[in-house]
Amino acid sequence: MANEAEETVRKLAMHRGVAGVIVVNGEGIPIKTTLDNHVSVQYAGLMTALVDKAKAVVRDLDPSNDLTFLRIRSKKSEVLVAPDKDFILIVVQNPTE
Amino acid sequence: MAPKKQKEKSRANLADDEALEWLKPRVLIKPEDQENVPEAELDEEVGRILTTINPQWVPDEVAFHYGQGRFVTKPKPTFGKAYPLYVYQGTAIRKDSDEAKAQIAAGYGMVGFDDAGPKRAKVKKSAAEEEEEEEPEAEPTPAEEAKAEEDAVGEEEKYQEKEPPVEPTEAPSVTETEVAAEGAEEAEAEEKEAVPEEAGDEEVFHIKPRVKKLANQFNFCERAALTYVYPRRSVETQTVPPPRANYGSTALQCIIFDYYQEDYAKKMREKEEEKPKRLRKKTTKHAKSAQQIHDEQLAQRIREAWAILERLVNQNIYDDIAQDYRYWDDPSDEFREGMGSLLPLWRFQFEPMRSHAVCDLQWNPHYQDLFAVAYGSLDFTQQQKQGCLCLYSIKNPAYPEYSVITESPIICLDVYKETPYLICVGRYDGNVCVYNAQLTLESSYQYKSDSVRDKHSNIVWEIRWGARLIDGEASFFSVSGDGRVVQWAVMPGELQATTIIALRSTAAPVPGPDGTLINVNSCGSCICFHPEKSDIFLVGTEDGAIHTCSLKYNRSYVRSCQAHHMPVYRINYNYFNNTIYASCSGDWRVKIWEDGRDEPLFMFELGSPVGDVKWAPYSSTVFAACTADGKVYVYDLNVNKYRPICVQAVVSKKTKKLTRIDFNRKLPVIVCGDTKGTCHVLKLSPNLRVMCKPPKKAQGIDQRTLQIMKLDKLLSLVRDPPFTPGVVDEKFEED
Repeated sequence: MANEAEETVRKLAMHRGVAGVIVVNGEGIPIKTTLDNHVSVQYAGLMTALVDKAKAVVRDLDPSNDLTFLRIRSKKSEVLVAPDKDFILIVVQNPTE
Repeated sequence: MAPKKQKEKSRANLADDEALEWLKPRVLIKPEDQENVPEAELDEEVGRILTTINPQWVPDEVAFHYGQGRFVTKPKPTFGKAYPLYVYQGTAIRKDSDEAKAQIAAGYGMVGFDDAGPKRAKVKKSAAEEEEEEEPEAEPTPAEEAKAEEDAVGEEEKYQEKEPPVEPTEAPSVTETEVAAEGAEEAEAEEKEAVPEEAGDEEVFHIKPRVKKLANQFNFCERAALTYVYPRRSVETQTVPPPRANYGSTALQCIIFDYYQEDYAKKMREKEEEKPKRLRKKTTKHAKSAQQIHDEQLAQRIREAWAILERLVNQNIYDDIAQDYRYWDDPSDEFREGMGSLLPLWRFQFEPMRSHAVCDLQWNPHYQDLFAVAYGSLDFTQQQKQGCLCLYSIKNPAYPEYSVITESPIICLDVYKETPYLICVGRYDGNVCVYNAQLTLESSYQYKSDSVRDKHSNIVWEIRWGARLIDGEASFFSVSGDGRVVQWAVMPGELQATTIIALRSTAAPVPGPDGTLINVNSCGSCICFHPEKSDIFLVGTEDGAIHTCSLKYNRSYVRSCQAHHMPVYRINYNYFNNTIYASCSGDWRVKIWEDGRDEPLFMFELGSPVGDVKWAPYSSTVFAACTADGKVYVYDLNVNKYRPICVQAVVSKKTKKLTRIDFNRKLPVIVCGDTKGTCHVLKLSPNLRVMCKPPKKAQGIDQRTLQIMKLDKLLSLVRDPPFTPGVVDEKFEED
């Protein structure tokens, strides 16, 4: 499992335009990252809050529904977030590269 | 104490009188109008009488009581002008009084009262002694005191005699008992004296508890002791404050929903537990621990999340291609009548398999975006040691969705239509395996042929799933270079091999070293099953023959014809007409055959060994072939019977060869593999996938019928002038 995760992170980070991969645990702490520390922490904190909010929005509209994925497209980059109740995976990609 | 004070008072009065006597002046001034009193009269003693009774008090005075609404006896006024000088309380009580009765009842008979006499005297004496001891200086007073006392007593007695016996006798008895009972509360006693009627009522309550103790007033002594006054201090302790916490929460609809779900699950579990134990044990026997399940689920969820992320990243990278493959059509097709083109979309490459060749590939029959690739080697002088089975999705061109390295190169594969995660592969070493793509990557094959007993003794060239056996087991067929066609039944835990047919060679038996003649099997190179008759199949051999065989006859062929001059690489049935099939060969030719005809209907020469030929699933007249010089040829017999409508070089012919090609069943794309381990996905331009237009007369006919009609029409054109052998060749050569 650990090897698999390592491998996956490595694989993802190698893709074109991928600026960073962050694995955030259930408490919002980045446990694996390819970015430098303070950026990872910032991403983790902000994304955790955003994911919670987004989840609340989806769940409130239909309680049997759930948030599965979050894409944030910005001028400079795109943030892909895979939320789960036990972890959050964040990939920062620069698609224009 | 009151009597004592009174005694002192009386003593002072007496002293005044005596002083007056001493201070009498010698000359007496007499008023003029003073009456002359004779000496005798003056000497006469006139007694001064002090009474305790208020002479002005009328005992029977009544007043109207407004509260009670009746006349009541006026209470005896408190000492207005009368001053009690001395009060003496006796111990005698009336025999018929309640108190006496109570005492008698309690055991104090007449004896007690008789005995009281001497005792009292004794006590009196001792009390006197005490007083003497306390005040030794006041020597002269006692006598006078005693006298006064006697006087007072005497006067009282007199008075008592004079007065009507009702009140006074009652009063003393009351006061006396009061004093005896309450001791020091004199003031109260006086009040009681003043209000005798009320006191009488109270008596009963007070006496009873003290019945036994008949202490008299003289026996009383008051002792006081001053105890230390302890300084007051306040002691405070502070307990640990109970833990406090601020709690805030929002009750969202989804939270409420979750709790209901949880509650429902809990109830279900409780219900489950209520079931008899026997049933439960069965279910729990194989159950894993909750932690284990949770971990597995978590791992699975992470894997899925990674997969989605990877796909998204790829979607961003290949955004233009992702748009193109669905919606972009080459606009130049409109101007090129009858000609099409292929638009290269993605290239799939698996890094460890760079030097391997794509030996087989197949779109998944169930998932339109997924295809399986077998990595092996076709360079038999420098054979690779390993092979690989990969599943690629066009959603993720960077990495295979599933990949498993095998210890021998994989030459062919087939995906099971019923369960599209089961893939059987044939390997270079003659073994066949079944892989389950649902299992995790760690586990390799699910089934493998026995390397010693059953396996082929040569390369497995093609493998195809067949119909289920009578017992319901899945089965597949493999054809190998050793000339055998073997049916493999997928039994639980093992593969069971049955040799269906051994391909005889037309060559004469070869004499062995010792002179015996050995029959040489011809080498099978491809196999193709009839789409409807599941027991009919075609086998192509390396010497160029195509044998029509049946599962029912394992000795002889149903039909046999020498179709090619070089090994037959692939045979493919038309999707719309079961009697039409195409074959390709190393002799550069693609031939279209009809069942029962020895001569091909069409024949095309492509100028290079043809690795693969496939009919299009969307059109009855379109097929594609790939050649060793890196070109893909697409033919539409309805458009042009002699020339391809598209020839496109996909790879450089110097370094790479195209090996296999496959049409996607749903999307207008084809995939072809080359000898350097790359798979190319190409989009067919609109001209390559022209659909039939229904004739005006019959608008409601569906596409499939139209396609069949189209092919039939074409076939009738080819067939009708009964062609003689060599006609097609001549035509081709004319072109």
